[in-house]
Amino acid sequence: MSKLLEVREGSCHLLMGNEAIARGALEAGINVAAAYPGTPSSEILENLAQVAKVRNLYVEWSTNEKVAMEVAAAASFAGLRSLCVMKQNGVNVASDFMLHLAGSGTRGGMVLVTCDDPGALSSVNEGESRHFARMIEVPLLEPGDFQEAKDMTRWAFELSEELRTLIMLRSVTRMSHASGNISMGKLQDQLRRAEFRYDGFILDPNEGPVLSAPVAYKHGLQQGKIEKARELFEQSPFNTYEGPEKPELLIITSSACTLYSREAIHLLNLGGRVGLLKLGTTWPLPPNLLKKYLTLTGTILIVEEVLPFLEENVKIIAAETAKEIGIKTFYGKNDGTIPMTGELSPDLVVSALSRILEIPYAAIDPAYEKKAQAAAFFKAPQRGLAFCPGCPHRASYWNIRNALTLDDRQGFVCGDIGCYTLDIFPGGANTLKTLHAMGSGTGVASGFGQLSPFGLDKPVMAVCGDSTFFHAAMPALVNAIHHRANITVVILDNSGTAMTGFQSHPGLCINAMGQEAPKVDIAKICAAMGAKVAVCDPFDLPETQKTLNRLMEDEVGVKVLILNQKCGLSPEKKAVKKYDVHVDENLCIGEDCGCNRLCTRIFRCPALLWDKEKEKARVDDVLCAGCGVCTGICPQAAIVKEVA
Amino acid sequence: MAHQIMGQKELKEQVQDAGLCTGCGACINLCPYQVFYHDRTIVLNPCDIKAGRCYAFCPRTPVDLQALHAHFFQESDLTPEIGPVKAFFIVRAADAEQRKQAQHGGTVSALMSLALQEGMIDTAIVAENQERFLHAGVAVQQPMEIWERGKSKFIVSPTVAEFNRAARSDAERIGVVATPCQAFALAKMRLKPELSSGDNPIDKLKLVIGLFCGFTLSWAKLLDLLHKKTGLDAITGMDVPPGKDVLEIYTEEGVLVFPMEDVQACIREACRYCIDTTAEYADLSVGSARLSGNWEESRSWNQVIVRTDVGMALMALARNSGTLEFHDVPTGNLEMLKKAAWEKKRTALKNLVEKSGSADDLIYLDARDRLLADLKY
Repeated sequence: MSKLLEVREGSCHLLMGNEAIARGALEAGINVAAAYPGTPSSEILENLAQVAKVRNLYVEWSTNEKVAMEVAAAASFAGLRSLCVMKQNGVNVASDFMLHLAGSGTRGGMVLVTCDDPGALSSVNEGESRHFARMIEVPLLEPGDFQEAKDMTRWAFELSEELRTLIMLRSVTRMSHASGNISMGKLQDQLRRAEFRYDGFILDPNEGPVLSAPVAYKHGLQQGKIEKARELFEQSPFNTYEGPEKPELLIITSSACTLYSREAIHLLNLGGRVGLLKLGTTWPLPPNLLKKYLTLTGTILIVEEVLPFLEENVKIIAAETAKEIGIKTFYGKNDGTIPMTGELSPDLVVSALSRILEIPYAAIDPAYEKKAQAAAFFKAPQRGLAFCPGCPHRASYWNIRNALTLDDRQGFVCGDIGCYTLDIFPGGANTLKTLHAMGSGTGVASGFGQLSPFGLDKPVMAVCGDSTFFHAAMPALVNAIHHRANITVVILDNSGTAMTGFQSHPGLCINAMGQEAPKVDIAKICAAMGAKVAVCDPFDLPETQKTLNRLMEDEVGVKVLILNQKCGLSPEKKAVKKYDVHVDENLCIGEDCGCNRLCTRIFRCPALLWDKEKEKARVDDVLCAGCGVCTGICPQAAIVKEVA
Repeated sequence: MAHQIMGQKELKEQVQDAGLCTGCGACINLCPYQVFYHDRTIVLNPCDIKAGRCYAFCPRTPVDLQALHAHFFQESDLTPEIGPVKAFFIVRAADAEQRKQAQHGGTVSALMSLALQEGMIDTAIVAENQERFLHAGVAVQQPMEIWERGKSKFIVSPTVAEFNRAARSDAERIGVVATPCQAFALAKMRLKPELSSGDNPIDKLKLVIGLFCGFTLSWAKLLDLLHKKTGLDAITGMDVPPGKDVLEIYTEEGVLVFPMEDVQACIREACRYCIDTTAEYADLSVGSARLSGNWEESRSWNQVIVRTDVGMALMALARNSGTLEFHDVPTGNLEMLKKAAWEKKRTALKNLVEKSGSADDLIYLDARDRLLADLKY
């Protein structure tokens, strides 16, 4: 049984931050949860999907984040509590609807959980979602530990109903993916019935239609809600202070940085000198609370990740209350004490504190550090980012690169977000020349496809995953078709939202709750849109390459090639080998003229090894996924497959 | 004058990127790194072998012509214009029905079929017309299959690539119909250059029938020339009739005529640097005959230069079996051919000097080579 269903109040469980958030939502009695997968947010909805039946939830993987927010909003309009979840980029996608939702207001409690990825550990950006709270004028909460992640989520629904607005709760990778002990609260019974009232007066928040107009009135109302939040936050138990009454230095922080700051104070033994003001309600900031703690000392260090969101907001309050609190010295992002990019760590906070307070401290013994670096460089095997053994993308890019090379017009590929982004790394085929947001490969290609009258004579290709196709590539494809862009779009259909852990999407016949669902056929959509459509198995190397070249040479309009092959880690394929693959050492000619290690030097599947002593290629049985693609590239037919 | 064998990188720099690649196919099917696409040799992936067969066999990497001649031919047979000449004939296939399938006299098809029938070879490599007027080399075992693949090809066929493949199959005795550059590549293989690795089953090559060749066209430029006047698949043949200074393109709807001035612009760059019109490194070489100004009479005959004992033996077989009809050789005919070949050599050397910027640098040829000494450029 899922730990999320624990009924004993006060019982203690080790939960991942994302599980804690999911539990908080269950304790709040939600009915509906919608999300688009994205690391580090995905486990929240996955956990809710697992208990959907038992807890009477409707849970879906929506086609994109904007739709997820719309689906959750409908539940709120019908008086239910609802959750929508996304990673930082997702908020950009949802932001248009979010702006209107802030204007129209909500009914049942509605919470947006956004999981940011400072340092871009699983992203191609380190976008900041916090600014949306200020820009769109919705309250922002940031849990400072795992217990808070749960408790704050639960409270966010109450707050949403009190203020009648969306509440944004922001986590980060180290909060979402680390684990901590959680004391369980009461699981709420859901007694609400969905009812959407729309017949009342236009301005009636409970009975009227749900609109963001009349704008002046609704906008004023929204700002009133923010004012009320500001007042409520003055008393919030999620804003805490620990430290001496008269600290030499005050750290103001939030989120996972609370843990780093606390550890840094401990490491430097500064408990008696440094105070720690941890804020859980970071927009709007409660000014009186801030004023109270800013008065304690003249030296302030603001610790947060990526952009100086907290820093700027604190400084505004400090400026407005300068007469009362006096002139302060601020340390943080703007003066360079805390880096403006990347994740923070206890070491970085230690380094900031030791600089400001002039305390000599080396986090690591320099002699040890030198030794460790040398050992890492000389002894640790290199392991670059690469496609997994059995990955269809390796075969797809092998075909794409070969087709582009044969075509010989310096064609290039526009890409976007998915495992197929790995093409840009040394383990890839290096055909991707632009890399942006979900669906942007097709959109950017659509633009390049219009540039031949201005002299661009290189063939233009785009790649797009199956989930990405539904998420954001469809409007771009329609645009390209309508405007007769001369492009070839390759849809790398591996039957799942693979990079984030195989979440379902509309192209599959199953939904988030494991129920059968109508499959939306990508090939039929593309054909109906008006593209010339071909479908290949990327593991059939000659056929795929031939088809690609034929499509590229057709210079009229949009061509779509759908490459169908399930991900090697898909539930159906994982640990199931289609073929046993081995190298016939008698046939392998290794480094001789005629091969020169094509398999391990160029193709480079991680399961193909070069035996330096024997000077022969070898298949690593443990790593090999049994796809058999390498047997088709060996010029000597020395790589042999047998049906497993 | 031994030349150093280098690798793929140098081959690409010195030949492909320099516009010297003839598309003969000598570097294809030896490894997975070079492939043929349309009418071009493409480097698909980088290879870092320092001395590779691709470089060693390429007809446009530096070569010692004197060594080649000494290896293959009798000094007494050599002519500076058209290489070795043991005998010269005007002939055609005896079977008039079969001739209809051929470009001119059907001599090449007749001789290759005969070589197969007589067991001189068990496999013949010939060029085949494929879709969109592109060509490929194919290995055939039956005489009929040779007749089906007659007619001149104006786009290069990577014939040597198919030899490379067939020589590593069950075929034991292989004959090749080769253009001058293809015959040249096969000759370089027959010199058996010292290689650090990789096989060279050239001993399976038993017969080379050379084709006279003035030029080949770039496929992409041919597309531009046709400019939608006809589809590539509608082309049934091409010819350059003597004295008219035009290229005739035959389609099912009729003949399209292009002035040679326009066609010149479509010639593959590599052909501008070729010094060989008559396929000097073959056992015998075949071209269209030139008979006393009457093209309709001439076009059903071929002229044949026999260069080696193998070539002599095959011609003897053809005469004795009645496979070929023989025509008297008009006076001055050989001299006329020599003059034309001489002109091409001079032009090629001039073009090479122009490209290198120095009379002492003939790129893949050696300016000190005695065989080139008489050619003023």
